Amino acid sequence: MDKEAFIRIKGLTKRYKNTVEPAVDGLDLNINKGEIFGLLGPNGAGKTTTLSILCNQIPATSGKVVISGLLLKTHNRELKKIIGVVPQEIALFEKLTAYENLRFFGNMYGLRGSELKSRILDCMRYFGLEGKADKKIETFSGGMKRRVNLIAGILHKPEVLFLDEPTVGIDVQSKTVIVDFLKQLNKEGATILYTSHHMDEAEHLCTHIAIIDKGKIITNGKPAELIKSEENCDTLEDIFLKLTGRKLRD
Amino acid sequence: MWLKFRASSVKEFLLLLRDRAGLAMLFVMPMALILIMTLLQDSTFKVLEEKRMTVLVLNHDADTFGINIVDGLKQSPVFDVVEQLEGKPFDEEQLKQQVMDGNFSIGIVIRENASRALRNKIKLGIQEQFPVEEGPIFDMDSTDAADTAKVRLYFDPITKSVFRQNIISALRRFSAAVEAKMLFSVYAELFYDLLDIQLKPTGKLQNLVVFEQEYASTAENRIVPNAVQHNVPAWTVFAMFFMVIPLAGNLIKERQSGVAMRLKTMPGSAQAVIFGKGTVYFVVGILQAVFMLMIGFYVLPLFGMYSLRLDNITLPALILIIMATSLAATGYGIVIGTIATSQEQSSIFGSISVVILAALGGVWVPTFMMPEFMLTVSKLSPLNWGLNGFYDIFLRNARVPEVMPYALSLLVFFVLCLLVSRFYIRFKESFL
Repeated sequence: MDKEAFIRIKGLTKRYKNTVEPAVDGLDLNINKGEIFGLLGPNGAGKTTTLSILCNQIPATSGKVVISGLLLKTHNRELKKIIGVVPQEIALFEKLTAYENLRFFGNMYGLRGSELKSRILDCMRYFGLEGKADKKIETFSGGMKRRVNLIAGILHKPEVLFLDEPTVGIDVQSKTVIVDFLKQLNKEGATILYTSHHMDEAEHLCTHIAIIDKGKIITNGKPAELIKSEENCDTLEDIFLKLTGRKLRD
Repeated sequence: MWLKFRASSVKEFLLLLRDRAGLAMLFVMPMALILIMTLLQDSTFKVLEEKRMTVLVLNHDADTFGINIVDGLKQSPVFDVVEQLEGKPFDEEQLKQQVMDGNFSIGIVIRENASRALRNKIKLGIQEQFPVEEGPIFDMDSTDAADTAKVRLYFDPITKSVFRQNIISALRRFSAAVEAKMLFSVYAELFYDLLDIQLKPTGKLQNLVVFEQEYASTAENRIVPNAVQHNVPAWTVFAMFFMVIPLAGNLIKERQSGVAMRLKTMPGSAQAVIFGKGTVYFVVGILQAVFMLMIGFYVLPLFGMYSLRLDNITLPALILIIMATSLAATGYGIVIGTIATSQEQSSIFGSISVVILAALGGVWVPTFMMPEFMLTVSKLSPLNWGLNGFYDIFLRNARVPEVMPYALSLLVFFVLCLLVSRFYIRFKESFL
């Protein structure tokens, strides 16, 4: 295990009750500070389970996770303060306005007053949501909801950001602004771990990529190096299909 | 912690404020229930008290007994007597048919010679009071002695037992008056035969005992029970427990939308959120109670009913029981919201369980009318504890120490609900 890595995952296993195969099977992974790490894999590969363990939503069956030098199992309280999470679902209150939602989640991270207000308005402006602060979430389009969903996870300027398919089901414009923002956030020092089905997006965004299948990492490296390493593969998608097969997944 | 608690409370308050269906369920529906049920019960009592009943009477005894019974029925404010059908006399078969067809709820047939039979019974009784050696003092043969005064009653099959008992009881009253009158008359006859003294009939020997009715309460705190005084507390408790539906629905919605999971990733949020949510609903329960009491006080009199009497109640006791009931209802909502897996499930289970607990608790039917077994079961319903607390305050002028057992039971129920929720979450998490 690389002692310098910002996120160190060793032998991580997750076995859900009443299931035969583990969802995550002895996963080892090191993510360095300042990386944008893409965790790619077909449906049911174990991406979301891994992410859920890292952000404290579910417990691991075995294995060790260390983030920023703190053991996840024993320091989850401290880690929650430096972690930002953007779930795949639109985890917002439909009946509240965008501002009320963001104020609530900001308060949950301990932010308050003018600092929180300006942070919310800055983020909303960046994501093209100026003038929409007082509109209820239920009136927003899918892309707008996803942007607010992202803002809710980064209001407290986290050191580590976990994103579970943040660009799923949205238009190209929304996708572009989100990707640009993640790059900007990364430049400011945030380490980002994200899962996606969009190979081209991952190829251009991520500094490092791991492909996971059946709960195990099957390849891991920089996008360009991965493409070079496999014969007859010109894109990340070629490698992905070569390693995970063309069989349909549920 | 305070910031998170406040944020959670504000969020919950805004969500509730924008949930029109939820607000209607919490405030409009109970208001309608109080109005409708109290009006209904009030008018039912009035109907029973004021409605006259038509009876078909066939009197074959044109003597003291028959005449007095018919007169008694005619003079009663409850009965309208019909002695002819379409201006014609009728026989017992026709009377029976009329009742069977539902044209009359009751038919009364006074048998022939009923007065003579009654008079003979009286004479026989008096005769038995004299020593045997005195010999017969009245002219009577053995057939006269065996004769019995009979009145036959025909009831419509759909009449309720309570109604039948009321009729029989009224007839017994008239009959007893006639019997007393005839007894006096036979004694007067005897006095005249034996002592040559002429007794004058008197009406002063009737209704010698006066029944005074009063509800048991202290002189300075006299509260008269009525439909308002009963219904307002009952439906208030019921309404407070109906918060289960929006509260549980809200919890499930948060789980289904992923908000609950998101909150799990935030520092120390879960407790603050549930505490904030619980506080809002606790306050809503108190507001509901105040609102319902105001309906009883201000609105019900507009519909011609009594105003809810609040002047003699003990305010600290009322505040205590309102707070305890609201806490219990909040706890119940949290446990339902934790265990149910969908909003449909929580709203169906929540509403039906509250209706069942209300029925068991005496909201629909007073517990004193329940059989022994149900009476025991009713004591397990938190609505029963709340209701008994309210009744004790509104009808018995109870003070804090008297309602404390109910308040404590409700508090224990609240704590139990929270513990069950906590253990259930842990149990569910063990499957993750």
